[in-house]
Amino acid sequence: MAITSFLFVPPAFSSTPGIGTLLCQICLLHFSLSLSPSLSPSMAAWDLSVTVEDLGPDTPPVSLSVTSDLHVGGVILKLVEKTQIKRDWSDHALWWEQKQCWLLRTAWSLEKYGIHADARLHFMPQHKPLKLGLPNGITLRLHACYSSPVFQTVMHICRMLNIRHPEELSLLRPIEEKKKKKDKDSTEEIYDLTEVPLSSGTIHSFSTSRPCLYNGMPAHFADSPQMEAVYKMLSVTQPPPAPEVIAKQYRPASVVDKAHINGRWLDSSRCLMQQGIQENDRLWLRFKYFTFYDIEPKYDVVRLTQLYEQARWAILLEDIDCTEEEMMLFGALQYHISKVSQSEPQMLSSSAAMDDLESALQSLEVKMEGESSSASEMLVETLFICFRPKRLTLKGYKQYWFKFQDTSISYFKSKEESIGEPIQQINLKGCEVAPDVNMAAQKFLIRLLIPAPEGMNEVYLRCENEQQYAQWMAGCRLASKGKSLADNSYQSEIQSIHSFLAMQKTNSSSHGNAPANDESINTHSLVSPRYHKKYKAKQLTPRILDAYQNVAQLSLTDAVMRFIQVWQALPDFGLSYIVVRFKGSRKDEVLGIAPNRLIRIDLGVGDVVKTWRYNNMKQWNVNWDIRQMAIEFEGNVNIAFSCVTADCKIVHEFIGGYIFMSTRSREKSDVLNEELFHKLTGGHEAL
Amino acid sequence: MEDIDAMFSDLLGEMDLLTQSLGQETVPPEALPPTNQEVNYSIGFTDLNESLHELEDNDLDALMADLVADLNATEEKLAAEIKGLKTPSPTTSDLPPPPKGLSLHPPSPHPLPASPASSTSSSVSTPASSAASSLPPPPPQNAKPTKEEIEAQMKADKIKLALEKLKEAKVKKLVVKVLMNDGSSKTLMVDERQNVREVLDNLFEKTHCDCNVDWSLCETNPELQLDRTFEDHENLVEPLSAWMRDSENQVLFQERGEKYEVFKNPQNFYLWKKDKRALKDIKDKDKEILIQENFCGTSIIVPDLEGVLHLKEDGKKSWKQRLFQLRASGIYYVPKGKTKSSRDLVCFLQFDNVNVYYGKDFKTKYKAPTDFCFVLKHPQIQKESQYIKYLCCDDARTMNLWVTGIRIAKYGVSLYENYKTAEKKAAVNSVWMNRSTPSSSNPSTPSPTIKAKTPNQANGHAPKPQPTAPDSMDFGNFPPPPSADILPPPPPDPAFPPPPPSLPAKSSSRPVAPQHKLPANFPPPPMAMDNLPPPPLPPPIDDSPEAPPDFLPPPPPAAGFGMDQSLPPPPPDPEFLPPPPPEPVFTGAGAPPPPPPPPPPPPAQAAAVPRAPVRPSGSVRKVPPAPPKRTTPSLQVGGGGGGGDFMSELMVAMQKKRGDH
Repeated sequence: MAITSFLFVPPAFSSTPGIGTLLCQICLLHFSLSLSPSLSPSMAAWDLSVTVEDLGPDTPPVSLSVTSDLHVGGVILKLVEKTQIKRDWSDHALWWEQKQCWLLRTAWSLEKYGIHADARLHFMPQHKPLKLGLPNGITLRLHACYSSPVFQTVMHICRMLNIRHPEELSLLRPIEEKKKKKDKDSTEEIYDLTEVPLSSGTIHSFSTSRPCLYNGMPAHFADSPQMEAVYKMLSVTQPPPAPEVIAKQYRPASVVDKAHINGRWLDSSRCLMQQGIQENDRLWLRFKYFTFYDIEPKYDVVRLTQLYEQARWAILLEDIDCTEEEMMLFGALQYHISKVSQSEPQMLSSSAAMDDLESALQSLEVKMEGESSSASEMLVETLFICFRPKRLTLKGYKQYWFKFQDTSISYFKSKEESIGEPIQQINLKGCEVAPDVNMAAQKFLIRLLIPAPEGMNEVYLRCENEQQYAQWMAGCRLASKGKSLADNSYQSEIQSIHSFLAMQKTNSSSHGNAPANDESINTHSLVSPRYHKKYKAKQLTPRILDAYQNVAQLSLTDAVMRFIQVWQALPDFGLSYIVVRFKGSRKDEVLGIAPNRLIRIDLGVGDVVKTWRYNNMKQWNVNWDIRQMAIEFEGNVNIAFSCVTADCKIVHEFIGGYIFMSTRSREKSDVLNEELFHKLTGGHEAL
Repeated sequence: MEDIDAMFSDLLGEMDLLTQSLGQETVPPEALPPTNQEVNYSIGFTDLNESLHELEDNDLDALMADLVADLNATEEKLAAEIKGLKTPSPTTSDLPPPPKGLSLHPPSPHPLPASPASSTSSSVSTPASSAASSLPPPPPQNAKPTKEEIEAQMKADKIKLALEKLKEAKVKKLVVKVLMNDGSSKTLMVDERQNVREVLDNLFEKTHCDCNVDWSLCETNPELQLDRTFEDHENLVEPLSAWMRDSENQVLFQERGEKYEVFKNPQNFYLWKKDKRALKDIKDKDKEILIQENFCGTSIIVPDLEGVLHLKEDGKKSWKQRLFQLRASGIYYVPKGKTKSSRDLVCFLQFDNVNVYYGKDFKTKYKAPTDFCFVLKHPQIQKESQYIKYLCCDDARTMNLWVTGIRIAKYGVSLYENYKTAEKKAAVNSVWMNRSTPSSSNPSTPSPTIKAKTPNQANGHAPKPQPTAPDSMDFGNFPPPPSADILPPPPPDPAFPPPPPSLPAKSSSRPVAPQHKLPANFPPPPMAMDNLPPPPLPPPIDDSPEAPPDFLPPPPPAAGFGMDQSLPPPPPDPEFLPPPPPEPVFTGAGAPPPPPPPPPPPPAQAAAVPRAPVRPSGSVRKVPPAPPKRTTPSLQVGGGGGGGDFMSELMVAMQKKRGDH
């Protein structure tokens, strides 16, 4: 029997955030290392056959004559001499196929390892190319370590990609794509990072602290234009995918589907080779623990970009549920981000602070102009207005001479009378502005809901054409936020209204394959396929535009942050699902693992029936023999379950991992406490 | 009573006028504006005195203090300007006429505000200033400098001056009557840059309350039977401006436990589903963890609320049940026959344009199922309307859950920041014994409060015993006793800018000196009520004509009366501008006991401290309405709303710019 217990001595709360001081005692009760029984210490030589990978797959194994007390280093030395190839063998090591383990302790003798003549050994490099699917959907080829625990492998990869806090990410096996495609995707562009020199194993000096950058990127990316292109791919958000691409992707249809994905995570305490990952295999790199620590836009360009991409795909593929309004906001943010990232070369955090007199004075001038409302900052035109609109008709509209000044609209009988008192003046500050546009019917209405003590007054303004509409609409939008036409965002507001109108024009015809440039983003690219069915692209446009007006002023970094924040604020955010069978229960249920709690979901009802928080957790145990987890909470609450859709190591690692994440704090050193991670997440091989 | 309002608005209008006329640099610096001003004021004040008798004493005091603070500031500005104009003349005798732009506006084109003489019950009475239609033009480009340095200096000064005027001219001020718990009221002036936190601090000073975090400003709407607490970061003037002229709405100052309950007992909101007994026993560290999780992460987490509420149907008196859900993005409900999954939810309302209010006694008014109702409406809606959403909960706890949840969703992290500030404030107050200097982030830490603790002034607004008349008389006596002895720096020699290095020292010494010395050795002020104030030249002219950054140049007001033309120009020293953090400046420095000394002054009494949020000046004059006890001058930190605004940014920029030279 093998049981690992993870015991919380009631945490003495320290002032640091998170779970507090965590004392974890691990009792190992297992008998796994069964040493080979009574091996006779005969020093007789015997033949050991070793396959040398570098000689090619067809070459027969090299046979070496060894004695049992020869240490592994000696075997390698003999082997290298025998192959007579001169090269750098320093990365090579022996892999014992039957036992699925590396012989990395070169000082250990064959006897100590328990190797006999029947052992099939492979001599191969520890670092091999791996195809890595990034959160942004792009595949990267790079050298990964196949011999160290996945946790370390991920650390290496993240350091290479310049992602801080690698403990939040991990690797998982991709979902098999359906093979009915016409091999079109085989030409998929793969970015190659295999040239990056391997940073020789100073893993322990890996620090989460801020990397130094050259030209705004890590040194190894500054070497060549190709490398710079890779860095750009990593650090700049991808344009919105074509709707077909979204539709083609696998989408989990239920909680159980989502639970299956979590069965694919690799074991962090074992190496890639041990988990059957071969050279050039494909793996996904994803954020696994949804506690994003210490995000610092200045240093986390790649991390933020990839996080955004993962969030975006989670939304588009309905991996996480949201409401329609939220979907429109996500759509608007995506639109804005893609627009801004095309105009900004690099992801720079633009600070709004004015640090110069000139710029300050300049904006003062604008301000003053706005207030003194010079004639140029005024709109005057003939428009139609309607106060008691009957839907769908253009009746009830009357024509007046309109003047837009500051944040108010006033109207007169005619242009001639505009010197005198207006018939009415409407202050738009605080009002709601909504478009009512139909390009095909040339209908350009602006719907205004103007707050007054008695309630909201509904007023429609009808414009004659697109140009007029864009100007007045932009004016209304700004005025509703208390800004005048003199505000420097006025022109860009007009621009975005134009481009949304353009979207409405082109959408119906466009076929989303063309890479989305600014003018022709298909709004179906911004929302999940559910809304492709529900709305036509041109119906979506005004709704996204509506949400867009609240985010249009954000800088790129702010917009990305906002996207991530809105994602984090969704009720289901951060939940990883596993189908489990609770002890004593006859049906499958779902366990949701969140950064701060576990939840139990009844599959029949689809409802959360119970919540347990980690800070009430006293200990958890894993019985590796019957693959069962037992958790004890304060107040004598005990739960136990076996895992159905994932190995219990995965569940154990999730819980231990979140406990680990909560122990991070600024006061502690910058260095990642790898040992603690393994203590909390390791299986019975741990320690 | 109406004429009081009218008077006030007139008065304020005058000040505005003054401000504006100051904006014209072409105004002959000689005696003209000052004389005007004096005439106006003395008239104004005599009249005022009579009608003001009817006001409550303390109200009057407070208000007057505010007004005078304003006046003083204006005068100082004037003085500064005169200096600014004068000084160049010695050096650049051939100074060309001021740039054209400046002379465009004739002085005082300012229309007096129409003074909507609102009924006395309305607390918001006067929008004091009108939109400044005639802003001073941008800083003049000075021509023909004789010395480069001086030119640069002058230019910068003018820019600064222009900006200040600009700022002043535009600031909207309201006179607000705040009702206390005990039925009394306080009247104070609030300008549009002040947020609720600052107003609360101001009230703390005036009431000597214990400053705990529950103290709130609330607005009530009797017509709709609504009330809500203002959030501390909210601007006060804006929502008040939405009130109608004849509104019966009121502003209350009271303790509202629910305001920050979520930070005191987060478990009741974030773990509301758990049983109550478990929640009661929750450990402090678990509370702390909850706050960390929900308010300190990258994103603010809204409590996960879901439940059946009663919704009043539009235009009807019937209430319908629906299953509502609160999300960060708004309130949703589950349509009939649909599941609770997010994608099926229908958006009931988003929070961008609405505030949440508690409804009072809706059972009677709207036949609500219970009295635990809350309301969502646009702040500008003041009467019944179909655009108001009425919701009714089964019990008080649910109602508080929802209202708090909505506030978290609407205000996000500001709420937590407000709480932390309020907590700090409360903590400081309980320990302040030795601390009379306010930290720069906390405007106006009350120094008078120190006394509040000692006597039995629990929630101190005991009506003041002194007669009103003396007070106003006092007021009339502009010039406070010559305070030569308190102002350490000797009068500077007129023609020269003070040596820069002396400045920092000075500014720091000023706050201290008057505070301790003044009250003790002051002779009662001369009773010069009807006369023009004698220019108290000598003492006030200390050589720090430059103001701390955000304020008006505080050359002693006396200088403003135009007698002295030889004031030193603003120091050309580039360093002279301290960085924006407002410096404490004294108001009410003089606080002499009024001539007819009233009964032994109860120490804590003079709650009402003159408040000139944005431009406290170091003037002795400010004191006027000081009741006898106000011997401790109040330490006032200005910079109210001005702190992080555009103007101060500009100041910083300017400073930097100059540093570069």
